[in-house]
Amino acid sequence: MKIIITISIIILGFFYTQAQTEGEWIVPEEEAALLSPFEFTADDVKAGEELYLLNCKSCHGDPGKGNYIALQPPPGDITTDKIQHNSDGAIYHKLKTGRGPMPAFENVLTPNQKWQVIAYIRSFNDDYVQKVAVEIPETAFGGKIDVLVNYMKDENKLQASFIGHKDDETQPIVGAEVHAFAKRKFGKLTLDQVRKTDDKGLVAFNLPDDLPGDSSGYVQLSLGLVNMELYGEINKDKSLAFGVPTYLPPLNEERAMWNVRMKAPIWLLITYHGALLTVFGIIFYILLQLRNIYLEGKKNEED
Amino acid sequence: MSSKTENHYNSKIADKVANDVLKSVNIGWSFKIWFAVLVVALGVCVYSYSIQLREGLGVTGLRDYVSWGLYIATFVFFVAASLIGMLISGVLGLIGYDWIKPIGRIAEIIAVAFAAIAGLVIVSDMGRPDRLPYVFMYGRFQSPILWDVTVVTTYFILSGLLYYVTLIPDLAIAKDKLEGRPKLLRKAYEIMSIRWIHSNEQYRMLYRIIRILLILIIPTAFAIHTVTSWLFAVTPRPGWDSTIFGPYFLSGAFVAGAAAVVIAMFFFRNSYKLQDYLTKSHFDKMGKLLVLVSIVYLYFNINEFLVPGYKLKKFDLIHLEALFAGKHAITFWFTQIAGLILPIILLMFKPFRKPLPMTIISVFVLVGAFLKRYLIVVPTQEHPYLPVQHVPEIFHVYFPTWNEIAITSGSLILVIMIITLLSKLFPVIPIWEVAHDMEKKAEKQKIENE
Ligand code: HEC
Repeated sequence: MKIIITISIIILGFFYTQAQTEGEWIVPEEEAALLSPFEFTADDVKAGEELYLLNCKSCHGDPGKGNYIALQPPPGDITTDKIQHNSDGAIYHKLKTGRGPMPAFENVLTPNQKWQVIAYIRSFNDDYVQKVAVEIPETAFGGKIDVLVNYMKDENKLQASFIGHKDDETQPIVGAEVHAFAKRKFGKLTLDQVRKTDDKGLVAFNLPDDLPGDSSGYVQLSLGLVNMELYGEINKDKSLAFGVPTYLPPLNEERAMWNVRMKAPIWLLITYHGALLTVFGIIFYILLQLRNIYLEGKKNEED
Repeated sequence: MSSKTENHYNSKIADKVANDVLKSVNIGWSFKIWFAVLVVALGVCVYSYSIQLREGLGVTGLRDYVSWGLYIATFVFFVAASLIGMLISGVLGLIGYDWIKPIGRIAEIIAVAFAAIAGLVIVSDMGRPDRLPYVFMYGRFQSPILWDVTVVTTYFILSGLLYYVTLIPDLAIAKDKLEGRPKLLRKAYEIMSIRWIHSNEQYRMLYRIIRILLILIIPTAFAIHTVTSWLFAVTPRPGWDSTIFGPYFLSGAFVAGAAAVVIAMFFFRNSYKLQDYLTKSHFDKMGKLLVLVSIVYLYFNINEFLVPGYKLKKFDLIHLEALFAGKHAITFWFTQIAGLILPIILLMFKPFRKPLPMTIISVFVLVGAFLKRYLIVVPTQEHPYLPVQHVPEIFHVYFPTWNEIAITSGSLILVIMIITLLSKLFPVIPIWEVAHDMEKKAEKQKIENE
């Protein structure tokens, strides 16, 4: 009896670990029920296609061709039931969190973009009927939110104000979380930390004083409210000259070993061609000497 | 004319040498059969290559991990074997060792044959050989591959020139002694001897040419094998990432080449009846030379394995384990023991430096040298720094396919064909140099007797 229990526990344990890595991908119920805040239009499908080609195709392949790459677990083709059986909210959740080889797109795609990709995925499903969220769930503020950004040079700080407008009324957005990023070559660099607006709707970020900017010191900033479900997408992009002016010539601009043939280092060209010329010059001299031997013999024979 | 030639050319002694040496210059039945066998074998290999040409490199065992296999190992081996021409004629000749004179031409034949085919081996490793001209049209001067193409070509030209130039007086001596040989051959001798009349002036010019070539061929030979080693050493792979790869390859090349020369000497001595010219003393001296170069090579081997083995960085460990105790262990220890250590020990004893035992030892050395090239090229590629995820199992292991083996054999057959042709159509022993030496010795004897 004991043995049977032990074996069952081992077998169960085995299945459990298996299930963790490769089993069904469980999505929490309230997440799976999430719906898109807008209706999918042809434009959304088109935008989604572009996003798909850029972010997903490398693994999931061309839709309908089943040429996704051999990963474990397999990514699957987006037109097949494997992906289509998911609710919109489930796909949204899986995109956001990722699992195993499937990357998390939480910070890569905005909520709107995620829904657009889903619109594209659904465009391959004829049976699909979209359900749109009746209204955006409990908004903290129903009107329009204006963002003003101000650079405080002396303190090297960034100040932003979040003011809401609704029907001629204005009201500061109080206690909302704000994050700030600097755009870098590959992605976004978080500046300072997430901060909350005060009772005037104001928030301030400390800026680093050693961040490389462009050749005039400009840095592309992006500022936004963290809770997009609550406020919608409130973002502000701004270019500010608080960085260290930097000019880095592209690595392929100057002559270098790694550059193309036309940009080979001078010393190398001299060495290579110099050696080649020397050797073949000498070979030419030897051929001349052979000719002299021939002429010498000919002269003697004629004598 | 005779007054001009007495310093360099004594026709009586030269006649005897020429008669002995030229006996083998004929196209007899045994030669025809031997060559027919080679041609048929080559046909099979060419057929294999036609398959590879049609189907692509997929017919080889090469995959994403191990993309350099048998072909590249063979290339390195051929370049190595061809280096001996430089050591024997260049280094020893310039130092003034007279005993190498009868061997010099054999070494040059080996150099020419291996250097000529080495380039072809590279072409067999190309999936699109029709793009070969691109190397010259778009090759980057920064790439060791371009340097390698350049120096191998140069070395081939220099070796060919050296071979031909030392042949000129022999052609002149032999051109009247070829009764019964094909007319075409006699005509070729006539033209190639460029009106050589053994005049002092001609000898003076010839000696200068030879001297220049011998000096020039030394740096070129160093360059070919050093650059070949850089093809590996400029990458950071374990087992390749080494600063002593140049001298390591060079010393290994002398070992392979010396062994090849001994085998060729044995073969020519017996089938061409040249016992008077390739004497036991020559074998004895070649044996000592082989010991010397092998010890130098062993020294580099110890460096090459002891230093990474002491530090044992993670990836070096994987590599060394595969060699010392893993799947390549048998090959590795064969090359080190049967191909290097045992030959050194045995050849220190005189009885083993006799022709037959030494030839057998040389075969082991040569096979060891070939397998060593394989071990240098292949195993480290089986353990890349950045493994591919979920890679098919066959990518991890490399084993040459039959196609690959046949094509590689084809290149070896081509080498043997070149050696056969050169040694059959032209004298393998430099008649004039040997006659000159014998004459000097006879004179010395005469003075002593008086
Ligand atoms: C690096 C490769 C990779 C990329 C890029 C990638 N995926 Fe995936 N995806 C996977 C893998 C692998 C799985 C399976 C994961 C699992 O089941 O644990 C998967 C699973 C999924 C699923 C869930 C399938 C199911 O079984 O329910 C969806 C939906 C999905 N991917 C959509 C996308 C979208 C949309 C993108 C682009 C925005 C994308 N993927 C980009 C590899 C990738």
